[in-house]
Amino acid sequence: MRVLVVVFMAAVLAVPVAHASERHPTLDELEGEVMCPVCGTTLDQSSSPAAQQIKRVIASRIAAGDTKSQIKNQLVAEYGDAILAAPQHKGFGLLAWWLPIAGIIAAAAIVGAGAWRWSRRREPLLAGPPLDPALEARLNDELRRFDD
Amino acid sequence: MTRSARLAAQGLAVALVVGLLALLIWRVANDSNKGVSQALNDGQHPTAPPFDLSRLDGRGRIDLASLRGKKPIVLDFWASWCVPCIHESKRLEAARKQYGDRVAFIGVDTKDFSGDARRWQRKHGITYPSVHDGSGGVLAKWGGLPIPRIFFVARSGKVVGELVVEEDLPRYLRQIAAS
Repeated sequence: MRVLVVVFMAAVLAVPVAHASERHPTLDELEGEVMCPVCGTTLDQSSSPAAQQIKRVIASRIAAGDTKSQIKNQLVAEYGDAILAAPQHKGFGLLAWWLPIAGIIAAAAIVGAGAWRWSRRREPLLAGPPLDPALEARLNDELRRFDD
Repeated sequence: MTRSARLAAQGLAVALVVGLLALLIWRVANDSNKGVSQALNDGQHPTAPPFDLSRLDGRGRIDLASLRGKKPIVLDFWASWCVPCIHESKRLEAARKQYGDRVAFIGVDTKDFSGDARRWQRKHGITYPSVHDGSGGVLAKWGGLPIPRIFFVARSGKVVGELVVEEDLPRYLRQIAAS
C-alpha cells in the first residue's frame, strides 16, 4: 500500500515538472534528446561543427519562447525523424515505445503461467499418500502427550 | 502444453531467429554498398542515383533525373558547418562563369539547417542552385560523409568521376562539357 502511495505521489509531482519542461525547455535537456547528424551521438556528447550549429539553433528558439515540441518539430522538418534520440509518441514511433512493454508483459505472463502450472503439478507429490488411520491416531496421541 | 502446441511454439521461435538473422545479413550487405563514390573507386561509372528535393531558395524543386540527356551536371555536397566546403564551392562558383551555359551546377546542402545554409550561400557569394537534403539520405547514396564531395555527371546520366585533387576540376569539367 505504501508503495502505491509513493508511486501515486511521484506521478502527481511529475505532471507539473513535465509541463514546465514542455513550456520552458532548457538547452541542457534538449541536448540529451537531439542527435548530432554527423556523429551518431546526442548533442551533449559532441562538439562537432554540425552539433554546435544545432545547439545554436536550439538556444535561439528557446530565447524566442518556443516550446519543446515546437523546437523538436522544427528540427524534424529540417533533418528528418533521425534527429531525435528517441522515437516520437505518434505514428510508427509508437511501436518502438509499446512493443518492448508488450514484450515484457507477454514474457511475464508466460513465466507466470509456467510457474503456476509447475507448482500445481508438484502439489500432489508434496502432499504424499494418505496416512494409515491407526498410524494417524497414534501420531495424534503422541503429539497430545508432547503438548501436555 | 500439448505436443503440437509445443512444436508450434518451437517452430515460431526458430522462424523468429531465422528472420532476425536474415535481417542482419541484409543490413550488413546493404551497409557494404558505399554508393557512387565506392563504385567509382572500383572503376565503375554508375548511373547517377536520382533525387527530387526542394530548392533552398524556395523556387520549387530539382529533379536530377529530369536533366538526364539534357545537360551534364556538377553535383556539390556541402553544409554550412563544413569549413572546407567554402573553398570548394567558391571554386565551383568561379568555374560556373566559364561552363555555366553548358554544364548545370547543383549544390546539395546536406545534414544542415536550411536557414544557416541560405545565409552561408549569401555570405560566400554562391549563386548556383542548391537543394536541401536535411536527413542526408541522398548523400548516403553517393558515398556519405565526409564532405565536401563533388561529382561530375555526363549528359548520359553516367557519373564519370569525383573530385579528389584540385586538378580534377578542370579535367572533369572539360570531359563532361564535351559529353
